[in-house]
Amino acid sequence: MPGEFMLAKIDDVARWAQSSSVWPLTMGLACCAIEMMSVTNSTYDIARFGSEVFRASPRQADLMIVSGRVAQKMGPIIKRLYDQMADPKWVISMGACASSGGVFDNYAIVQGVDTIVPVDVYVPGCPPTPDGLLYAVNLIQQQIRQGGRGGILAKA
Amino acid sequence: MSAAPTVIGTPLDVVDVKGNSMTLSMGPQHPSTHGVLQVVVEVSGEIVEKAEMEIGYLHTGIEKSAENLFWTQAATVIERMDYLNPLGNALCYVMAVEKLLGVADHIPERARAIRVLLAELSRIASHCVWLGTGGIDLGAISTFFYTFDVREDILDLLEQSGGARMHPNYIRIGGLNGDLPAGFLHRLDALIAKFPQRMRELRALLQNNPILRDRMIDVGIVSGADAVAWGLTGPSLRASGIAYDVRKAFPYCGYERYEFDVPTRDDGDAYARFLVRLDEMDEAMRIVSQVRKELDAPGPIMIADPKIAPPPKETIALSMEALIHHFKLVSESFRVPPGDVYQAIESPRGELGYYVVSNGDNRPYRVRTRPPSMYNLQALKLLAPGNLIADLVVMIGSLDPVFGEVDR
Amino acid sequence: MPSSQVPSIAGTALDPTAVRPPIDDAEIVRVAPAKLHAKLEALRAGGFSLLLDIGAVDYLGRDPRFDVVYHLLALATSPSTVASVGVPRRVRVLCGVGGTEPALITATDLWPNADWAEREIYDLYGIVFTGHPQLKRIQMPHDWEGHPLRKDYPLRGPAREATPRPAFALKSNVPAGTPPAGNVAAALQKRIALARGQRTPDGAGEKS
Repeated sequence: MPGEFMLAKIDDVARWAQSSSVWPLTMGLACCAIEMMSVTNSTYDIARFGSEVFRASPRQADLMIVSGRVAQKMGPIIKRLYDQMADPKWVISMGACASSGGVFDNYAIVQGVDTIVPVDVYVPGCPPTPDGLLYAVNLIQQQIRQGGRGGILAKA
Repeated sequence: MSAAPTVIGTPLDVVDVKGNSMTLSMGPQHPSTHGVLQVVVEVSGEIVEKAEMEIGYLHTGIEKSAENLFWTQAATVIERMDYLNPLGNALCYVMAVEKLLGVADHIPERARAIRVLLAELSRIASHCVWLGTGGIDLGAISTFFYTFDVREDILDLLEQSGGARMHPNYIRIGGLNGDLPAGFLHRLDALIAKFPQRMRELRALLQNNPILRDRMIDVGIVSGADAVAWGLTGPSLRASGIAYDVRKAFPYCGYERYEFDVPTRDDGDAYARFLVRLDEMDEAMRIVSQVRKELDAPGPIMIADPKIAPPPKETIALSMEALIHHFKLVSESFRVPPGDVYQAIESPRGELGYYVVSNGDNRPYRVRTRPPSMYNLQALKLLAPGNLIADLVVMIGSLDPVFGEVDR
Repeated sequence: MPSSQVPSIAGTALDPTAVRPPIDDAEIVRVAPAKLHAKLEALRAGGFSLLLDIGAVDYLGRDPRFDVVYHLLALATSPSTVASVGVPRRVRVLCGVGGTEPALITATDLWPNADWAEREIYDLYGIVFTGHPQLKRIQMPHDWEGHPLRKDYPLRGPAREATPRPAFALKSNVPAGTPPAGNVAAALQKRIALARGQRTPDGAGEKS
């Protein structure tokens, strides 16, 4: 009976489902959070990529977008939220401050959130435009579909 | 009930149960706290008995960074305090430095007018975020899409003029970074034309909406005397009846030549603050329309003092003097005569002030911010007890704090 | 008169607040710590009902070392119009405080919003406000040591002070120089090469 069956690996189907419904955690810290909010508006519309809602509870989120500068007091909280997220989970370090401390090379800012949690995609910018964040989410989706994790330049 | 509490601000793990009340931590990661705020609430059922706020989750050391950067560079970090109004932060700081330099009266007309234009557009953009997120807090999610559409138009203008949607570093000491590009005024006219219809839509959606009125009327009432005692400024103060607006009281940047009203209400509740901000958006557009008429004539946008203003890029390859000035300004910056000054502007959140101290060096000696959000937020201690948690969310939204400014 | 020839008073004992440039931003009052609370109370009784801000400045090398600056505004406390609010008056009260354990009396009994401002000054400068209801850190974590905004506190914090600012370094979890691997990386490299008009390893595209 040709045309009535589709064969695929469960892995591929699962990854297709996962990549099409990445739900980010509402982790807005600073200015990048405003651009993250802009990515959900009608002009940029992240919902068309599957990120229909941002979940406030880490238990229900797949993706943590660290959007903004990480202060000394906030560091342990981010680690805690990351630990509370259920596997599989991904992290986007959005903006210069989250990626490396940004313009704030001082006592108050953690110099890169990857000192606290493992990051999958870094987005440069201060703040990155919403297009940049959309591209980052696309890269995460690609990573999910490839089955890989741990950074675009990581050894496979 | 749990492992040993992690002491950061206050114990996070502990859910304390004493008699009828329970202590919960609301935040710092929370969809409705408008940023990184932790409110440790002692609740009895849904009623808040005590609310203890913990801030500092976004402390960036901006004031210390500014002490280690040149006067012009410091503006870039200062812009990142109130990230919903970066041009306003830059404007206030730059005006303070211009006063210390003694050039405040020599800023070119066109630069002054464009500064006012951008400040008012920023005000509208900031209120758009307030309204959109405030709506989401209440469950009115559609509002977000309408207001952010207006905001996108404004951010397009900011990107066209300054080069970036947020933090363009366009307002510089002595004037502006460059003139408005071709097409800007055309786009601005389009926005001015479409704005009244947008505001009508927003008002029609919200202003007499029974659910919104139910959630906001008589919630978070601040009397005039309390507002002054707690140092509220901006829409939060004006909604309690006190018509203090820095643009009228201590006019700066030429605001005295424009006609605009200062919306004030007497009720002091969240609904009054809501109405005041809606009216402010209309008044801001009124100022924008008036400024627009002044922008057709060309003119310089930077002070003609080569010791402060960098030379035009195209002259650097042709003139030795221009090259040397450029080199000195970039490598060592200019020095500002010693003294201290307090400069304030009316930001969308209230009186934003900078107390700038110079000891004659090429870096600020001290930049102390008067953060309106911090003082507005403090009033929550007065307002929260006796109200529902849901009201707490409405109150935070109606005070409109921005944590980049609260924590700096 | 801005100029690179402006003599800097950095490193001298000259107090910037003693230099009064011709700026009319507020009436300036300097009081000694012992008279501070009485002065603030008198100002409040005289109509300065709004405490705008309390800030501190560290004049390292001057005695007294710190300045605590109170910005006040004379404003009506009952509903008003723009016309009746008029031109409010501003006053700036400077209080020099120093010593090994700098301390001042709290202003929270006069204005409730002095609470957080004084906590922040305690946190970042180490100036104690006696009589404050709960003087604890507000911006830094509660177990932080040191007062960051003091001039002798390093910008990058004591932990990182000695480490040099990093030169530009690739941020990745592979050693620098390792060629990128994996499907995604390869596809990206190919796209970049095509965009640049260069020849790609599998022969597509052409060198410009």
